[in-house]
Amino acid sequence: MATSTYKTIANDDVTNTRTLLHEAIPLTGTIVSGTYYVESSNTQTNIKRYAHGMFESVYDYPYLSSSANHIFDVTVGYSNRSHLSSSANNTNSEKIQIYNEMAQVLVGYDQTGSIRRFDQDGNFADGGTKLDEVFFLNYARLLTKDEIKKGSYTIQLFPSGTVTGSADGTWSPTTFGDYGAADSYKTNSPAGEYGLVRRGNSTGQIFGLVYYQAGVVALSASIFAGAPGFGPRGGLGSGDNPFPGVDACITGSTITSSCEGFRNRWEDNNFNNTTELNSTIYFCRAEHNEFNYSSNPTYVTASKIRVKNQALDQPVSYVTTIGLYSQNNELLAVAKLSEPNKKTATNEITYRVRLDY
Amino acid sequence: MAFLDNSGDIILDAVLTDTGRMRMASGDGSFRIAKFALGDDEIDYELYDKNNASGSAFYDLNILRTPILEAFTNNASSMNSKLLTIPRTNLLFLPIIKLNEANAATTGRNQSAAQAKGSFIVAANMLTAEEVQVGIQGMMLGQAAGDENQPHIQCDQGLDTSEISPIQPLDAELTETQYSVEIDNRFGRIVNLAGQPAPGPAFIDDDNIANYYITTANPTLVKLIDDPVPVGEGRTSTIRGPRGTSIKFRIASSTDIASGNFLFTKFGNTGQSFTKADGVGVATVSTLDTTVRVTGLTTGYRVDIPVRFIRKE
Repeated sequence: MATSTYKTIANDDVTNTRTLLHEAIPLTGTIVSGTYYVESSNTQTNIKRYAHGMFESVYDYPYLSSSANHIFDVTVGYSNRSHLSSSANNTNSEKIQIYNEMAQVLVGYDQTGSIRRFDQDGNFADGGTKLDEVFFLNYARLLTKDEIKKGSYTIQLFPSGTVTGSADGTWSPTTFGDYGAADSYKTNSPAGEYGLVRRGNSTGQIFGLVYYQAGVVALSASIFAGAPGFGPRGGLGSGDNPFPGVDACITGSTITSSCEGFRNRWEDNNFNNTTELNSTIYFCRAEHNEFNYSSNPTYVTASKIRVKNQALDQPVSYVTTIGLYSQNNELLAVAKLSEPNKKTATNEITYRVRLDY
Repeated sequence: MAFLDNSGDIILDAVLTDTGRMRMASGDGSFRIAKFALGDDEIDYELYDKNNASGSAFYDLNILRTPILEAFTNNASSMNSKLLTIPRTNLLFLPIIKLNEANAATTGRNQSAAQAKGSFIVAANMLTAEEVQVGIQGMMLGQAAGDENQPHIQCDQGLDTSEISPIQPLDAELTETQYSVEIDNRFGRIVNLAGQPAPGPAFIDDDNIANYYITTANPTLVKLIDDPVPVGEGRTSTIRGPRGTSIKFRIASSTDIASGNFLFTKFGNTGQSFTKADGVGVATVSTLDTTVRVTGLTTGYRVDIPVRFIRKE
């Protein structure tokens, strides 16, 4: 063994692992429709609207602040085969365009090349019930990371009653979720895996679809079929729920007004995201007769080793850092210990250095 | 029954350095981890109290409570001092690398506060050399050939102790056979005393630091010190004990440094007074200070050498 400062990492000293990390994401109704409402101007400073009016963006803080994070977009659309579709509707073509765009990406095409409609149970073979009027929640990659964790998605909404009654406790929210999806989900979407959003439990009625990798939830507008009124806030001195029901709001108002109506009936939303970490672990083995001296300038005084009184004393060194190098001795990665680690000729240490990608 | 000690197997999260990210982004397969080294940058071995009356368990109490910094992502900021593998455990001395300034006229740094005290000087081009006049201590001509008698940088390696005679040979396992010389590639490059370029650089990192590997296979740059003369008896090496190898080189200025003032404006100073070699006249020059680092690849010891580039305005 020659004198050296580097030790070659053998092929056997490298292994790969995959780890899934989950974070809990809570999105309360106060963020979505309450905290940043300015009554005098009837605006919400954390909701960004656009001139094109195709969707609105929800931030966790007034979006003009650099501290704000984009958390999701909300929009609504319907199929041109929906019973709501009519050229007399407010922004009819935009709503069809939204529906078709989302269907193209999330549902795909049939054998004739026509865009498929959202299917309630994901079974296209049996025809079945279609979701033709849909609110879309497009979550930001910041929240969903690699995907939404299956079986973790719940959203609490007020499907009936008035918004005022919801706020004062007269009405209770209903929970919808992808119950049972951890064990049972669909794979026949071009956008990856998806689960069914049911009311209450794993046998409840299906009201939507959650696309895990895409980070998109499609919720049927029929959720709010029992609501006597639906729509945006009326502003100072005006009442809420200016439209007599969700269908009237979707057909009679803009996309963003319908989206505001949706947000006003939002109580809570929770899911876990997933980050897939691929790691390489390098086993850095310091044998008993290795790395026992140091090139630290303080290690010697007049070339004499400070930690020894006589030649027969055991050499000792202290590890604080592990450097991973290329063949050309370029420092590619660094790992630090939390405290100095003593290395002598009487001990051996294996450092498992993990590099995540 | 007690728990097993698992302190011998530690999991650590590594961070990519800026060079690591650059290599990964290049997608050419240059990101491949092939070796590792252990470092002890934070440790001050002067804290090792080997005479503590309470016994050996108390020798390193102060060292073990040293707080450790988080990882730097700049590749040049970490692993400045590495641990060393030497099979023998009965060594009492370790070699160092030392700047040899025994001959002030050829290997000494400049000593004039009106020029560049404590640094070597590189004249960016011949116009600069003519302006400040040749013969300034420690001034290399960045655009000219040279020889042994022209100013250059020399580092000697060996045991710098008077406890062992320089007549004793240095152990082969402690003798440096290859050096790494790092210099900012925007400013200059390494050449031998005749002005011929050194082989390489082996790589240039994301911060434009060029890394030259120079071995004993290049005898014009590295060779064994053949000078077993004790201190005070006409020696040419400043190493007091057994000697290993010596590396000698000069610095050539880059084309950007020689031909324009852009780098001086960005990284240095302009409009600086510089006393000419006659000690009377004063030239106005731009200056740029940098560091050349010499590291022994066998023993890991390193020396930082201050260098000032000057250019006539």
